[in-house]
Amino acid sequence: MRRRGFFAKREIGKMASYAGLIILLCLAPLFMGSYLIHLAILVLMYIILTSSLRTIYISGQLSLGHAAFVGIGAYTSAILAIRLGWTPWGTMLLGGLAAMIAGILIGFPFSRLRAIYFSMASLFLGIMVTALIAVFPKLTEGYTGLMNIPRLFGFPKEPYYYFFLVLTLVTLFILYRIEHSRVGMTLKAVAQSHLAASSIGISESRARILALAIGCFFAGIAGAGYAHYSTFIAPTDFALMPSIYLLVYLLVGGTGSFAGPVVGAIVLVLIPYMMGGFRGFAPFFLAGVLIIVIFLIPQGIVSLPNRTKSWIRKLHERRVSKSVS
Amino acid sequence: MSGEFLKVFLETNGLTKYFGGLAAVYQVDMSVNKGEIVGLIGPNGAGKTTIINLISGFLRSSRGSIIFDGENITGKKPHLIAKIGIGRTFQIVPLFNEFTTLQNVVASFYLSADSSLWGSIFRTSTYRKREEYILNQAEETLQLLGLDKVRDELAKNLPHGYQKMLGLARASAVKPKLLLLDEPIAGMNPDEINLALKAIDQVRSQGVTILLVEHNMMVMSICDRVIAINYGQKIAEGSPEEVKKNEDVIRAYFGGEYAT
Repeated sequence: MRRRGFFAKREIGKMASYAGLIILLCLAPLFMGSYLIHLAILVLMYIILTSSLRTIYISGQLSLGHAAFVGIGAYTSAILAIRLGWTPWGTMLLGGLAAMIAGILIGFPFSRLRAIYFSMASLFLGIMVTALIAVFPKLTEGYTGLMNIPRLFGFPKEPYYYFFLVLTLVTLFILYRIEHSRVGMTLKAVAQSHLAASSIGISESRARILALAIGCFFAGIAGAGYAHYSTFIAPTDFALMPSIYLLVYLLVGGTGSFAGPVVGAIVLVLIPYMMGGFRGFAPFFLAGVLIIVIFLIPQGIVSLPNRTKSWIRKLHERRVSKSVS
Repeated sequence: MSGEFLKVFLETNGLTKYFGGLAAVYQVDMSVNKGEIVGLIGPNGAGKTTIINLISGFLRSSRGSIIFDGENITGKKPHLIAKIGIGRTFQIVPLFNEFTTLQNVVASFYLSADSSLWGSIFRTSTYRKREEYILNQAEETLQLLGLDKVRDELAKNLPHGYQKMLGLARASAVKPKLLLLDEPIAGMNPDEINLALKAIDQVRSQGVTILLVEHNMMVMSICDRVIAINYGQKIAEGSPEEVKKNEDVIRAYFGGEYAT
C-alpha cells in the first residue's frame, strides 16, 4: 500500500511490461498500411471517448449523451481554427475546455437527477446539442457539416497516429490516477450510496460535477483531435447513435475495471471493419454481442480470463468428484 | 454530572416536521449538553428517526430551529452538517457495498483531507503523506471497534452486526463533535450488543457527545439522560430511572391499563 516516489517500487515489473507495450505501439506503424493506421487512429480515439465515459459512469451517472460533448469539443476547435485562423494546437485545448465547461454547466441541474432520470436528461441533452449545431448554419454550416478544417500535419497519417497514441496514453494515465485516488474513491462512494456519502461530508453534487468535468474535458479534446484529423465534421457524427455506441463499447468491455472500456473499444471498433462485405450488418452484430455479453459475462469481456479460469476449475472439480464416486 | 459546568451543545426549539397533514415531530424542545450521552426513546413511529434526520439535515424541518455549538444549522445540507462536526449512523446501514471494510473507513477520513486533483494525478509528497496518515488512522479505528478481523472483507458480505459496527466506525472517523446514533443495536444478538455498547463507550471516552435513538429500553443504562417522545411530542425527560417509572412512558409503551 505504501507508495514511494513517483512510482511505487512494486509496480516496476508492471511498468516494464507497459514500456514494452508502448515501444511495440510506437513501432507498429512501420508494419501497417495507411488503411490500418487509419483504423488504429479511430481505435485510439474511441479508447479515450469510452474511458472518459467510464469516469462519469463510476460516479453513478450513466450518460446517454456523451457524444454531444465530443461534438462541442470538435465544433469549438474547428470553428475557431477556420473562422479565426487560430492554430489547431491551441484550439484543441479550447475545445476540451469548452466541453468541460458545458459538462459543469449541465452538471449543476443534472446532478440532482439520479439513475434513469439522469440518463434520460443526458439523452435529450445529446439530441439538443445536435439540433443547436444545426440551428446556426452561419457558424456551423448546419447539417451540411464543416469542411476543410485545418489539419495538424501533412498528408502521411503516421504523425496523427503518434499524436493520438500520446493523447491516449496521457489520458489513460490521468484517468487511472484519478480513479485510484481519494478523488476517485469519492466518485465511487457517491455512486454506491449518496446517503452514506453525505453523512461523511462528501457533497454528492460536487463529486458528480467533477466527474462530468473530467470526462467531458477528455471527450472534447479527443473530438477536437478527430475534427483536425478527418477535416470534416457534421452534426450527425455526434448525435444519439454515437453516444449509444460508446455505451455499448463500455458495457461490452466491462464497466467494473479500468481496462474495460479500452478492451471494449478495441474489439468493437475493429469488428465492423473485419466483416468485409457484410459491414452493413454490423449494428445487428454489435447488438448480438451486447446481448450475449450481458447474459453470459455481465462483467464484460475484460472479465473473460478470470471467468474461463473459474469455468475450468468447476469442470475440473466436477471430473474429480465423478472419479471419486 | 453535578458540579460540572453544563454547556448546551445541541438545542432544538419548537422543532416540527409535517409529512403531508401528519405531524411526525411536533414542537420538540430538547437540548444535549457537551460530553453527555442522551437517549431518545419512544415506541415505533414516535418520530425518533425523524428527529435524527432533521438534525443531520437529511430532512428539512417544517418549523423550528436547530442550534449546534452556537450556530444555527437549520436547513443546512447533510454534507455541510457533517463538516461542521455532526456524524450519524443509520438504522439500516447504507454502506459502500463494493468497498472493503477498510476502504469504507478510509473514505470517511477523506473529509479531513484535501481532495486536490493535482495531488491525485501527480502523487505529490503532501498527497502521499496525507494518504499514509489516513491509512494509519483508519487501521486504528478498525482496531478500536474490533473490526480489524474483517478488514479486507467487502462491506456487503459482512454479517449484520459488523455492518452496524462499520456504520459506527465510519461515523466516528469523521471526527464528529456530536454523534447521532440511530438504533445502534437494533437486530443484534446479545454478544454483538455487548460489543456495540463497548464501542459506543470507546467513542464517548474520546470526548464525543452522543445522542442515540432506541426503542430498546436496555440501552438506557448507558445514558446520562433520557428523553421520551410519543406521537412526535416530548412526553418525559430525566434520568433513565425517572423516565422508566414515568406513567406517560409506561402508557406509551404498554398501553393505558398498565399505568397505575
